[in-house]
Amino acid sequence: MDKLLRNKKAIIMFIAPAFILFTLVLLIPICKAVYYSFCNYKTLHPIKFTGVDNYVKLFTKDRAMRAALKNSIFFMVFSIITQFIMGLFLAALLTNIRAGRNLFKNIYYLPCVLSSAALGLLWMFIFTPKLGINQMMASFGWIADCTEGPQWLFNTEGFIILPIIVISFVALWQYVGQSMMLYMAQISGISSDIYEAAAIDGCTKSQAFFKITLPLIRPMIATAMSLNAIGSLKFFDLVYNMIPEGFLGDKAHVLATHMYTQAFKFNKLGYGCAIGVVLLVMCLVVTLLINKFVKVESYT
Amino acid sequence: MSAKTETISVANHRTKVIHGFIYAFLILLAIIYLLPLAWVVITSLKDDAVLMISPWELPARPMFENYSFAWTMGHLGTATLNSFIVCSITLLFSMIFGAMAAFAIARMRWKLSKLVLTYFMIGMMIPVHCVLIPLFVQFSSLKLSNTLIGIIIPYITFSLPITIYIMAGFFEGIPDELFESACIDGCSVYRMFTTVGIPLAKTGFMVTGLMSFVGNWNELLLAMVFISKEAKKTLPVSLTKFVGPYHTNYCQMFAAIVIAVIPTIIVYCVFANQIVEGLTAGAVKG
Repeated sequence: MDKLLRNKKAIIMFIAPAFILFTLVLLIPICKAVYYSFCNYKTLHPIKFTGVDNYVKLFTKDRAMRAALKNSIFFMVFSIITQFIMGLFLAALLTNIRAGRNLFKNIYYLPCVLSSAALGLLWMFIFTPKLGINQMMASFGWIADCTEGPQWLFNTEGFIILPIIVISFVALWQYVGQSMMLYMAQISGISSDIYEAAAIDGCTKSQAFFKITLPLIRPMIATAMSLNAIGSLKFFDLVYNMIPEGFLGDKAHVLATHMYTQAFKFNKLGYGCAIGVVLLVMCLVVTLLINKFVKVESYT
Repeated sequence: MSAKTETISVANHRTKVIHGFIYAFLILLAIIYLLPLAWVVITSLKDDAVLMISPWELPARPMFENYSFAWTMGHLGTATLNSFIVCSITLLFSMIFGAMAAFAIARMRWKLSKLVLTYFMIGMMIPVHCVLIPLFVQFSSLKLSNTLIGIIIPYITFSLPITIYIMAGFFEGIPDELFESACIDGCSVYRMFTTVGIPLAKTGFMVTGLMSFVGNWNELLLAMVFISKEAKKTLPVSLTKFVGPYHTNYCQMFAAIVIAVIPTIIVYCVFANQIVEGLTAGAVKG
């Protein structure tokens, strides 16, 4: 048995396909991306090594990049906070009821499996000035005429522009089910003995939540938060489909759309890679920070 | 005695009220979730002129022409077929490769297994975006852009980490005795994998298969970059054509949305529990 399982040839046979694919499609391209990000590389032009030029330009001269960074960080903070609160709240409610728990759970999770490209189109329509929400508000008499209502997706005033806020709420609608599901899985894993013992000691339900549930699901909070953070930094589909390209100029970019435009519309591949590397570094840093500060200790 | 029953009934009454509030809230939220989706279906059967006047009413006469238009003129027919081809091939290979690697990591005895697992797990943290450009350059020079195989290869790779992670968990859960008895009966390690490992990890295959299918069905960015030919586009890419505030026909756009989300809704309704299990299993890794 032991000899059989130490068969080197078999191990290599089993690992090889996945390992080779991984190295060719993930590891080598990442190294290349880092290299390209230090080069002046445009489609059909030779690659020229220029050092940190791309990064200097990215952080000092590029106004779109500033907007993209601002919007992406807003998305990240917003989704970390709101998904944590809403997800945990829903999970707490759903674990407390008996009838219909699965039904509600499945309904709230449904948008997560749907194409965000398609849902983006749907919400784009709902927030179109003359139709959708504004028409509904007009029919309730909240606003005199639909054209006078808020320009949900076209208003470019303010530090964080309205379209970005609208999109972040749509994203919350779509993805809160995922956080909820993760918290629920963890909460249902807590032994009911603990709650019973606490109840005997005179612990109220809200006390039980803050003193027992919350500390015990702390590892999952870290996991869910880092998933949210990475997911919202990568954000592309909703923004791309809800804000028509170039319609709001540079203000409505996020990192992913900025990278896409630079690399595949303006053919600045090296510059695009620099944005990609910034994105990667941000993902890693945020994950590390969350794991350091949230996941302090595990009780299990 | 009577005072005690009174407090209990008051407490009961309070819980009932609280439960009432909870259910009211949950139902309201469920409406917020389902209403837009129901509205898409209704609108997709309308005429644009009717939509502008009465956006919230049911159509007098359902317009199925919107669907046939989106299916043929909007090229959604080809796109659906492409999506199916891409997702099925990806599903098949990511499961085979993933299960093989997971078996070696979870069951075979070698020093580097932990390290190799970590190597694969790093893949979960890496966004597609940063490998997009080098991959695109590489695949263009290999003449793989604008082919389905060109997106299938990255899709397989990006499905691997989660597949390996979940499958390794399932293989670890199989009792040692089963492998031992297979060994005594003279099984080779390959037959152990095919006759003991694979049949006993069936649930794992279900879960990972669904996750990879749903994920790849919805993937937009990579497909959009790699494919520009109409005949090779996948569903999400074809949908982006309908974007724009001045797009002429909204109702056809809604028909297109319905076509794009129906397959995942069906898959979700049938396998909701497995998808949920996969999601949590994948995330609990910590």
